[in-house]
Amino acid sequence: MRNLLTPGRIAIVLFFVVAALLPFFVDARGHLLRVAAMVLLFAAVAQSWNIVGGLANQISLGHAAFFGIGAYTSTLLYLNLGITPWLGMFAGGVLAMVAAALLSLPTFRLKGHYFALATLAFAEVMRVIANSWAGLTGGPVGLTVPFAGSQPWLFAFRSVASYYWIILALLLAICLVFHLMATGAIGYRLRAVRENEQAAEVAGVDTFRVKLIASMVSAGLTAVCGTVFAQFTFFFDPDSIFSLSGISVRMAMIAIIGGLGTLGGPIVGALFLIPLEEYANAQLSSQIAGLSQFVFGVILVAAILIQPRGLMAFWPKRNATSTTQPSGDKE
Amino acid sequence: MIQALIDGILLGGVYGVIATGLSLVFGVLGVVNFAQAEFLMLGMYVAWFAWHYFGLDPLLGSVLSFVIVFGLGYVVQRTLISQVLKAPPSAQVFLTVGLMMAIENGALMLFGSDFRSVNVPYQMAGFRVMGLFVSAPYFYAFIAAVVLSILLWLFLERTWTGRAIRAVAQDAMAATLNGVDTNRTYGIAFGLGVALTAFGGAVILPYITVSPTVGQQFVVLMFTVVVLGGLGSVTGALVGGVVVGIVQSVSALFFPIQLQNFFLFIIFIAVLALRPQGLIKGA
Repeated sequence: MRNLLTPGRIAIVLFFVVAALLPFFVDARGHLLRVAAMVLLFAAVAQSWNIVGGLANQISLGHAAFFGIGAYTSTLLYLNLGITPWLGMFAGGVLAMVAAALLSLPTFRLKGHYFALATLAFAEVMRVIANSWAGLTGGPVGLTVPFAGSQPWLFAFRSVASYYWIILALLLAICLVFHLMATGAIGYRLRAVRENEQAAEVAGVDTFRVKLIASMVSAGLTAVCGTVFAQFTFFFDPDSIFSLSGISVRMAMIAIIGGLGTLGGPIVGALFLIPLEEYANAQLSSQIAGLSQFVFGVILVAAILIQPRGLMAFWPKRNATSTTQPSGDKE
Repeated sequence: MIQALIDGILLGGVYGVIATGLSLVFGVLGVVNFAQAEFLMLGMYVAWFAWHYFGLDPLLGSVLSFVIVFGLGYVVQRTLISQVLKAPPSAQVFLTVGLMMAIENGALMLFGSDFRSVNVPYQMAGFRVMGLFVSAPYFYAFIAAVVLSILLWLFLERTWTGRAIRAVAQDAMAATLNGVDTNRTYGIAFGLGVALTAFGGAVILPYITVSPTVGQQFVVLMFTVVVLGGLGSVTGALVGGVVVGIVQSVSALFFPIQLQNFFLFIIFIAVLALRPQGLIKGA
């Protein structure tokens, strides 16, 4: 049995405690708290991505598809049928899981570049559909979530702090799912698949099933984040919600810069990137358009060249999730 | 219908050259270059500036695009791409994705977001051949693409450097043992790959306006062409280009124009799933 009080766990618990108390110390309606909520939200999305990208090492460049499915499902259910986004969130999650399962059929044998390409194309398909099926989705104009005061039952609040705590709870839940999957039997199987798929198959791992479960869980959680994003920002359109660089790459990048396949990676990555981006946007965009995205690209290139294992590699302790025995998982 | 076929072939020939560059890079370096479409954009800008300041026709400016982007590509390969050649695919994917964002937004910073187009006398012209209309700018672009493809073929078959590129693609270790400077060859292959794409961008300038985000329109298109023909296959990319061109123009007859790309994606995913090695190559 491992010690319950490893430095890594203490750091994670400390992070959540500090994060939970933050709204008491900053202006509850202020900009700072919105940025903090975005940090947590993108940490949550990146953690969802990390289940497929980190544990199974299937590099998806199309998770914006699931994010968008979540946002569209809950918002459309609310606008057309009056169903509360609290329920729409789960409908979106289920729909994204179905989509992930369908996408798995043609792509499960693909690896590396090919998988990245296929997922990228999938998100593009979703973007094209959302843009052209104007009768349902509102087309390129996008959707606006109507705001009618504080109605907790309808996932609408006046204070940023309420959203902030909901997002924090979501992040906590997704981190728990990730941790359970990483340390549980499925985590061992996924790592076996990652290290050597054929060997895993021979050792009795049903590789298709394992990958299917991982991608469905990942897609479902990403969709839930999409719903929360829609409720939090009130507005989205096909080009922003299915965006390659804005969503798909960003969530992958957060996980990679933080540390691929590690529990703390997405949190560290989001803490580093989102404030940086916010700062760059606030300070520089007024002067030169595109500068913040340019800096983003340069950081990504630099990160890959300097430390491909991400910021978590600078953590002094050897990392538990990545050094446990890689395969040899038997039943 | 025959009209659509002709349009498709003319369009597809250019797609072929654009995608050949991507295929060459993958075939030789084993890296899928997600930033490839940005070099197309750069090629278009070079041709645009050549037209704007020197009155150079984009068809001639394309040569300038080829040369400049070749140099740029060579430097990018030697400084950045060479570092991840042996890294896992995830590092390669994200290096080129980062490059894509940096180049696209770098262009936005330098050139602004305006759409720029050229005025050439033959822009609206065309020929009538047996009752069919052949648009002049599409036709000239197609001819330029064909000429460049022939030159590329001659280069790869007949010159020492061309043979070295093919040798490195087959077996880098064996090529080194036979006296090929692999690092230099990788640089040349990458430069050549992005230069081909830039050339393709320049010759379509008479009928497509350029802006920093123009590359996005071509990303998936380019990958579809390459995957159809088999990643790494140069002739496959040319054939794939024509197929995609025809699919685009024929589907436009029956479906709204926004859905044009939708069919490409479907083909793309289907091909990836069923025959990732491409339609042309044997199993």
